[in-house]
Amino acid sequence: MQNPDAIVIGAGIVGASAALSLTNAGMKVLVIDRGAVSSGTTGAGEGNILVSDKDPGPELTLALRSRDLWFEMQEDVGDSFELEAKGGVVVARRDDAPLMKLAIEQSKHGVITQKLDHTSLHEVEPYLHPDLTSGVLYPQDAQCQPMLAAAHIIRIVMQRGGALISQAKVLRVHVADGRVQGVETTRGTFKAPIIVNATGTWAGEIAELAGSHLPIAPRKGFILVTEPTKKYIFHKVYDSDYVANVASSDADLQTSTVVEGTRSGTILIGASRERVGFDGSMNYQILRTLAAQATSLFPVLRDVQLLRAYRGFRPYAPDHLPVIGEDALVKGLWHSAGHEGAGIGLAPGSAALITDAILGRESFMDSTPFSPTRFVKVSV
Amino acid sequence: MSQTDRFTFNGVDIQYEEGQSIAAALINDEKRELRSTRFGGEPRSIFCGIGICFDCIVVINGVGNQRSCLIQAQPGMKVESGQ
Amino acid sequence: MIIVIGAGPAGLAAAEAASRNGTEVALIDSAPRMGGQYWRHRKSVTGYKSPRADLLFSKIAAVESITHISEATVWSAEREGDIFKINYLQGGVENSLVGEKVIVATGAYDRALPFPGWDTPGSMTPGAAQSLLKGHGVLPGQKIIVAGTGPFLLPVATGLAEAGADIVGLFDANSPLRWALSPRALISNLSKFFELIYYARLLNKYRIKPQFGRAVTALKDGVATVSKVDSHFSITGQQATLPTDVVAVGWGFLPDLTLGGLLVFKQKVDSDGTAIFSVDNFQLSSQRDIWIAGEATGIGGADLSLIEGEIAGLAASGQKISPTLLRKRFRKQLFADALKRSYPVQDGWRGWLSVGTTICRCEEVKLQEISDSVSELGAEDSRTAKLFTRAGMGLCQGRMCSRNVSDIVSGITGCAVTDTDRIAGSNRPIAEPISLGQLSDGNIRL
Repeated sequence: MQNPDAIVIGAGIVGASAALSLTNAGMKVLVIDRGAVSSGTTGAGEGNILVSDKDPGPELTLALRSRDLWFEMQEDVGDSFELEAKGGVVVARRDDAPLMKLAIEQSKHGVITQKLDHTSLHEVEPYLHPDLTSGVLYPQDAQCQPMLAAAHIIRIVMQRGGALISQAKVLRVHVADGRVQGVETTRGTFKAPIIVNATGTWAGEIAELAGSHLPIAPRKGFILVTEPTKKYIFHKVYDSDYVANVASSDADLQTSTVVEGTRSGTILIGASRERVGFDGSMNYQILRTLAAQATSLFPVLRDVQLLRAYRGFRPYAPDHLPVIGEDALVKGLWHSAGHEGAGIGLAPGSAALITDAILGRESFMDSTPFSPTRFVKVSV
Repeated sequence: MSQTDRFTFNGVDIQYEEGQSIAAALINDEKRELRSTRFGGEPRSIFCGIGICFDCIVVINGVGNQRSCLIQAQPGMKVESGQ
Repeated sequence: MIIVIGAGPAGLAAAEAASRNGTEVALIDSAPRMGGQYWRHRKSVTGYKSPRADLLFSKIAAVESITHISEATVWSAEREGDIFKINYLQGGVENSLVGEKVIVATGAYDRALPFPGWDTPGSMTPGAAQSLLKGHGVLPGQKIIVAGTGPFLLPVATGLAEAGADIVGLFDANSPLRWALSPRALISNLSKFFELIYYARLLNKYRIKPQFGRAVTALKDGVATVSKVDSHFSITGQQATLPTDVVAVGWGFLPDLTLGGLLVFKQKVDSDGTAIFSVDNFQLSSQRDIWIAGEATGIGGADLSLIEGEIAGLAASGQKISPTLLRKRFRKQLFADALKRSYPVQDGWRGWLSVGTTICRCEEVKLQEISDSVSELGAEDSRTAKLFTRAGMGLCQGRMCSRNVSDIVSGITGCAVTDTDRIAGSNRPIAEPISLGQLSDGNIRL
């Protein structure tokens, strides 16, 4: 493609959403990926679109809008990625006061919550352990198949005049006079005044190539996949430890319990978080811990068989907020990266913020909290 | 002559010889169709015979996804078509 | 202690050899009896040169230092420094074997190619027919067609005929003239002629006339379509339709590399496109203290597996390996290479498919969906095609379809299957399904 209006680096869900948003705003977009569509963290996710796990603040605001945009995207792209507003159930294992407090705060900021006592908890999830007595239902939580979503979104982008070049590794980002000019890749050189860095866990590498810096690091996670089974789980169910883990910076392994069913009948179980760089090796102790946690929530799962496990690397910034906005040093270089475990859910919202910012128009929220400039230390 | 005994398959008595797998006993009794697939309802039978392909799966005493080509028949087992 | 995983020819030979200097050996296998697939039996092994099997079984049974752990399925393997932990399920309970050395001899399974109707009852692999007969004393049906390619079709067809089946046809897609490509291998393995004569006599006795350059290309309602195929396996138009109860079709073998993948062995792609493990001259893998013997180092048949097993067993137990043994292995490797030359699997099978043909049996993914993932969703490699269609994500975790999906995607995109793709097809962290309860119960951290 000659002279695109914008280049999006990264054909995962964040890049695909950005490409669609820019295309719908009238731009000719070239998407570049060093691998195939969804070959990064998007290919290792569960497809979470959650509002339930976020504290009131900018991320929650983004998540709420982004969640609605997912359904608008389905209208636009078609019902081809198993998008389902299945709802989330957060279960309190012990003291439910922190969970209830969070739910009340969230409900003041646009999140629909429904307190669940023992009876109602077991009505919405009959297979939960009988000793569990308290939880919250979040009807807005949704699920999709993220790899299919990214692929279909890119298909639509191409239908509307965009292009995709895969298996093209970016070797250089050309910058002149503090402004981005284009990229050189293993499959050609492309000029554009706007580059969107949507490379997730590898976003820091692209920033370096442009002579800038982004402190994004990997946070490893495992997911267990079971055999196809009778439907035992009706929502995304997780325990309230999940929220604390997401926000923590602890280097040690952290695990929490996340369980949900899929359309194909399998059950997905997570979640673990570790800072071990890009060490992708299997860890059976973690698998056992995740299994033990899941069966403690749903005893019926004891007889369900594990078929496989996979791992991915979530991209995170030190303050656990995504990075959305123009680079601090290089004009025309826009980042939409570092979404940690919420990339799927936040993708269309991030795309809207980025598109509005690029076009210089007001957006649905102030994106300053996500700005890459927040990492720039003022030297004295 | 080896010991023979019985298990049920979808309610029907199936005779087997000691040491035979459930699949072998069923095929011997001309019950070739072991299950129907979970999306398309297509009939399936033994395919690889050595526990690799999982096409021969049945429900044994309420537990699903059991490979009938590997599991030795036991007296009184309640076997049903799987999915 | 040496842990030998797999009690087929390679594993048995390894265990026996290792035990010669008194080394403790734990021989673990998922079947109730020794022998693996090749020597599957109920009371005793039958077939060509079967006495050597029974001899090996009794040798091993007599050795005190070999413990045979049967009906035990290994689901994972871990290495902690100098110690290996082999985790297995036996009788519904999880257990572990701990040892300082491991010999992996997990064998192979039939390679299957899709064709319209290959997923319907009555269609199976030759290995399934063999297993039912030899392992369970059951004929899969009365009228049987044996087809595909490879020398394995001979013992299967003759074994079934001996048990009273009516072999409606024996079809090999390749021409026996291909053996002329391997004169050296034939000369170094003259004993194989006796094996050929053995089978020729049986074929004659049961009036089975093998036909070459033919393949079963469809099965519907008890009728098999047999087509003439050229050297690329493309249908050349002439057909016969044969009523039959069973079609037992197999295209050589694929080694199951899962356990090695867990232990992070270096893999490579063999000359026939099969991903295998790299080993050194003494069967040592790329990881210290683990040896690999048998089909996982390259499909080569029982003779080669026995010798590789013996070498691995001697190496692991620190015994001397004679040059004679190494020369014997070399001759058998020549023969194994000849097998690859004589019975190749050519790409023409892709032309046998219709859009509704099931490609991934477990998840019921049809050819149409795979093509759509390439043409509509931009899948350029089989990994992406699998992510989009769920092919390879079912219960068998891609063992049956992974290679076929790669070849189909390659046929559509025109890009050759990469070695990475071939090797990735066998990487699975879980070798056998294990229940979440069993997994949890092994959890030491609460």
